[in-house]
Amino acid sequence: MRSAHGLGMVRAIVLAALLSAWAQASCWAQTEPQAAEHQVKAAFLYKFLGFVEWPPQSFERADSPLVIGVLGADALAEELVAMVAARTAGGHPVEARKIRRGDSLAELHVLFVGRTDSAALPGLLGSTKGRSLLTVTESDEALAYGSTINFVVVDNKVRFDVALGPAEQRNLKISSRLLAVARKVLPNPS
Amino acid sequence: MRSNTTAGIALWIMLPMAHATVAPENSLADLSLEELTNIAVTSVSRRPERVSDAAASVYVITGEDIRRSGATTLPEALRLAPNLQVARIDAGQYAISARGFNNAIGNKLLVLIDGRTVYAPFYSGVQWDQQDVMLDDVDRIEVISGPGGTLWGTNAVNGVINVVTRSASQTQGALAVVNGGNFENGASFRYGGSLGSSGRFRVYAKALQLQNTKTAGDVSQPDGWDRTQAGFRADWTDANGGFMLQGNAFHAKSEDRGFFGPFALGALEVSEANLLGQWTQRLAGGSDIRVQAYYDHSKRDDGVLYQPREDVLDFEFQHGIPLGAHRVLWGAGYRRSHDDIRPGVFFGFIPASSTQTWSSLFLQDEVKLSDKVGVTVGARLERNDFTGTEALPSARLAWKLSNDQLLWAAASRAVRAPSRLDRDIVLPPNPPYIIAGGPDFVSEVSNVYELGYRAQPVRELSFSVTAFYQQWDRLRSGQTPPNAQVQNMIDGNTSGLEAWFSWQPMPQWRLSGGMTSLHKDLRLKPGSTDPTGPSELGNDPNYQWMLHSAFRLVDRHEFDVTVRRVAALPVPSVPAYNAVDLRYGWRINTAFSIALVVRNALDPAHAEFGTAPGRSEIGRSALLQLKWSS
Repeated sequence: MRSAHGLGMVRAIVLAALLSAWAQASCWAQTEPQAAEHQVKAAFLYKFLGFVEWPPQSFERADSPLVIGVLGADALAEELVAMVAARTAGGHPVEARKIRRGDSLAELHVLFVGRTDSAALPGLLGSTKGRSLLTVTESDEALAYGSTINFVVVDNKVRFDVALGPAEQRNLKISSRLLAVARKVLPNPS
Repeated sequence: MRSNTTAGIALWIMLPMAHATVAPENSLADLSLEELTNIAVTSVSRRPERVSDAAASVYVITGEDIRRSGATTLPEALRLAPNLQVARIDAGQYAISARGFNNAIGNKLLVLIDGRTVYAPFYSGVQWDQQDVMLDDVDRIEVISGPGGTLWGTNAVNGVINVVTRSASQTQGALAVVNGGNFENGASFRYGGSLGSSGRFRVYAKALQLQNTKTAGDVSQPDGWDRTQAGFRADWTDANGGFMLQGNAFHAKSEDRGFFGPFALGALEVSEANLLGQWTQRLAGGSDIRVQAYYDHSKRDDGVLYQPREDVLDFEFQHGIPLGAHRVLWGAGYRRSHDDIRPGVFFGFIPASSTQTWSSLFLQDEVKLSDKVGVTVGARLERNDFTGTEALPSARLAWKLSNDQLLWAAASRAVRAPSRLDRDIVLPPNPPYIIAGGPDFVSEVSNVYELGYRAQPVRELSFSVTAFYQQWDRLRSGQTPPNAQVQNMIDGNTSGLEAWFSWQPMPQWRLSGGMTSLHKDLRLKPGSTDPTGPSELGNDPNYQWMLHSAFRLVDRHEFDVTVRRVAALPVPSVPAYNAVDLRYGWRINTAFSIALVVRNALDPAHAEFGTAPGRSEIGRSALLQLKWSS
């Protein structure tokens, strides 16, 4: 960094890099904003598996996969697919898949509904009523509609609220360790 | 649920904290639930973002890093950031900067504590002897070296330090800390509880006594301090955001400093009080709003230099809007300051009392060009009473080479607007003046180019390297006395490297470290009669490095070693020094822990700043820390 020539180089490289970036501006791709959030949420989705107990009849065999479906959050889904590859939870291999509206939810153990598809939430929750499906959401009124876990961002950190009523109706047991980390736990009203 | 929440927090504290600053998604899955809720996110973009994705030179000091350093004051904790230069001038005063220009009245670094700017507008610098926090409640300190003016305004020329305390919900229950040693004694206490169903609060108090330092000739300096501080923070949260209210009060008094000829210098006595409210809300459609206001009153009785009383009122608004591949952030700010600066033996201000306002507007667009490439462009317009409107544009490019490699580049224009210290100061307070203000002093300007690379090739190792080059124009200069005026007659450039790494080869051992190098080429412009030249602008080492080893022994015992080397300072000459700090900590049970901290273990004393023979030397010190939490 001694010669003025070397310093000029740094500046030239920075400017060239910025210019070439702008040159690409015509092919802006649609990606989800908030890169950080979806990665942390994906990690949470995977971690939740270790603290939730499904009834044995939710699995065909003892080594059947535990399936997470992700609706309306493609970046999160891709993140999660990469993350859970070759991982297991409670003896079950974990499988994550991107789903679209109208896809069958029959094989799912966990359903994540992204903010962009939150309008579909009441319908989805109604159609899966009574099934042992852990629903995880990220929208304001989701718990009121009957979701079990809802992400919130507080103080720049991803936290989550848990509703015990829907968990019980769906015959899911949630570990007290998970509840201890939750920001809020809504007790079972019944 | 309260007891469960408290248990969760206690659990989190006991877990070895993952170094969350550079955690790729693969390793996120290996963090515990508690750790995930505490993932460090940065304020580079004023919204949540992984540090490893930020196109800037950011280092995050975690609360766990602070605990394991044994630091008892904010400036000492800042030594943990490899991209800062921290020099202790005497018992309570520090010179702290990033990328050079370090001196006791440094003016190119912006420091915020929970969103409150702590520099004094009258001189656009930080009085480090009157800024402290309850370190046990600090969540993290984000240190951004390089310009942040587009988001943070003038004065964020060479860096931004963002001290972020934990929310009240994360500091429930009682905590008591007692420190005793040969150089300092202190105690602090905090209690956190509930406010109805959605609110949490904490209150804290901290007292600290710093002993006098000595010169190389073993003469005791009258620089010891007695400090007390107390405050509170309350948070109300709902699903979409929340409201935070906090207040702090501080008082400190130094030793009596005797006489300068016929003038009684007295003690240095400072006090400060502030109140801050911050409201955040996420709106439908994914946008979010933040509104913040604070009031700060400070008073500094310094019979030697000058004696300011300053009241600051500050409002800020920002709105983030996602628009497809774009993320637009805009905001506005308004600050009003009223001061009354009585003269000391040496300096006076003309006029003594003044009211100033600053207003600003900023807009930034963050565009995802593809999955791998993002560009952030923005600008801030900031108006001040001295020079009118200043423009602070910047452009940043982030290129994710892979999931664990980021290459970034940035170009920014940074501005340091004049303060009262530049324009209105006179020496001595009455004519005939040796220095007579700087009525024509205008903004100092820098064009900054940065290039950085960050990677985590394996889970155990992460590192960051940044190169910067800054062109400077109109830097502050003087004239030949008498009646010398402050002018803008220095220009030139600075360049350097910043690098750091973290390596955790086994769960119980982590080695981290970092270095900076700096090359300064500043000169007087033709026509200047400044007798000293660029040396007045800061006394900087051309390199420094540090290494920290954090070892967790069996059975809740910890052993920490930190080695620092700071190269010689040129004018006035300060020799290079090495400092070795040791800490042994033992968590006796879930409530009690104890630690012994030895600073400067291998060296009886060294100077870090100032002119010999009158300057302070920082001696070897030992400190015993007892901590109890409910």
